[in-house]
Amino acid sequence: MRRVGWLVLGVAILAAPWLVAAVVPRQQRYVLHVLIFTALFAALALSYDLVVGHVGSLSLGHPAFFGVGAYTAAILATQARWSFLTDVFAAGLAAAVVAALVGVPLFRLAEHAFAVGTLGLALVASVVANNWVQVTRGPLCITGIPKPALGPLAVATLPAFYWLALAALIVVVSLYQGLTTFRLGRAFHAVRDNEPLAASAGIDPLKYRLLAFTIAAGLAGAVGALYVHYLSVMCPEEMTVALTVNLLVIVFLGGVGSLRGVLVGAVLFTALPEVLRLAPTWRLVIYGGLLLLVVIRSPGGIESLLRRASR
Amino acid sequence: MLHGLTLGSMYALVAAGLALMLGVARLINFAHGEFFMLGAYVFWFGYSELGLPYPVAALLAPAVMVAFGIAYQRTVIRAILPRSWHVQLIATLATSIVLTNLAIIVLGTQPKEVPTALSSRILDVAGLRVAWQRLLVLAASLAIFWGLHWFVGRTRTGRAMRAMSQNREACAVVGVDVQWTAMVTFAISAALAAIAAALVSPLFNIFPDMGTTLTLKAFAAVVAGGFGYVNGAIAASFLIGLTEALAGSYISYAYKDAIAFVIMIAVLLWRPQGLFGRRIGI
Repeated sequence: MRRVGWLVLGVAILAAPWLVAAVVPRQQRYVLHVLIFTALFAALALSYDLVVGHVGSLSLGHPAFFGVGAYTAAILATQARWSFLTDVFAAGLAAAVVAALVGVPLFRLAEHAFAVGTLGLALVASVVANNWVQVTRGPLCITGIPKPALGPLAVATLPAFYWLALAALIVVVSLYQGLTTFRLGRAFHAVRDNEPLAASAGIDPLKYRLLAFTIAAGLAGAVGALYVHYLSVMCPEEMTVALTVNLLVIVFLGGVGSLRGVLVGAVLFTALPEVLRLAPTWRLVIYGGLLLLVVIRSPGGIESLLRRASR
Repeated sequence: MLHGLTLGSMYALVAAGLALMLGVARLINFAHGEFFMLGAYVFWFGYSELGLPYPVAALLAPAVMVAFGIAYQRTVIRAILPRSWHVQLIATLATSIVLTNLAIIVLGTQPKEVPTALSSRILDVAGLRVAWQRLLVLAASLAIFWGLHWFVGRTRTGRAMRAMSQNREACAVVGVDVQWTAMVTFAISAALAAIAAALVSPLFNIFPDMGTTLTLKAFAAVVAGGFGYVNGAIAASFLIGLTEALAGSYISYAYKDAIAFVIMIAVLLWRPQGLFGRRIGI
């Protein structure tokens, strides 16, 4: 019975463009747009959760890596005319390299200080994006980023982009599962749960933290690349501290360190504001309040409720 | 140079409060910059809207913020104090976001200016022109640091704060009123931020999201000065303020906000325990 339920859900997700066209033909474009955002945000939040949920380092610098990837792709696609897949790959690589470079000094900072240091990194990155006008065009934004194409296959329509975003999400989900379940995942969790014990068992905490941080940054960079190809424009506002808040809300509302929790969090997070139609400032007030409430009242997020319900 | 000292005083007042909270309550308060921001708006309201004279408006800000600090400690902080540092950090960050955006909704994003008589009066010493307000900032900050030093070293509550920064449980055992001491710490921290706001507001614009950057810079100072070590944080604040002012005029104005973090990272690479730090303790 359960298996049938999952099958129906899977088919519904795959066939979403047709379902949307059949159910709400007037708002098809808008609903698809929200779905695409949901998929991209879910992928980004999963990459973020690799660091926060699985090695237990509270990084607040994810927008920096998202931004590095987004700008790399934007510049390569508009000026060097690289093809879609190569620039997405380059974006991920660039973000991962930056993460590996800044990670070495940042991981010298313990707990709180690491959070502050990464938040500083995000701030510096957004200052650079605003002011390095020769490269990023600053507040003028990089415009005219071409729609993605997979070889001869152009991804120009909304349904096509939806399937592309979905495919990207599936890739991220499988990577996430693969990285967090096997031997590597056990090492991550050992570092998170008891660092001295992990170190004494021959698991170098720094090495595994840095590894998770770098992979997460690479994924964030690749998602950033997809994001700019979808919007066809990249502005410095896309990588402010507000993005960190969004990610924190998704991950902590849904459930830290849990695939199902983060996915549910992403769906709730992207769908709710669209339903409520809130002004951006009110949205942040509500998210902040919600985040406060969740971490105080139920630090496990929705995932802990789901677990309780299924028992 | 003097601009750097003004900036340094501002950072030092904010960072001292932050270091105090970290030392006594083991808590990183991400909403600390918002204390400064709210203090600045209270000052603006008192001075520009109510027409109070400068000293009265300047004292109104810390008075209101002390009440706010205590309320914050009673509600949010009490709920998160027994939790892990993850939860504490996210909860205070969430508070900061709520406060910033409420300020945007209520007060608008238009920066407010509060020029006072002292900020436009210029002292001219041998060609060196200085606004009186800057001298006031320096003098008042030095007086406050001296007062803080005296309070923590000499009074009963101040000593209780130092004791708590060393061992909270032992304090509770020997009869130190832990709740009272924590509350006083929050009141002092909030007052320091509000005083800083009242002092420098006549020189800079006031806007709702100025708190976030300030929190980060004050943190950089706290981390660089030795975690939770108040005098170290103050010294590091002046270092950051001076470097920022020099870099702003000689290297690049646009990147001045990045300076604090470059200093922090450099210090930590060279001395992971901070410039003056050994362990947590005020």
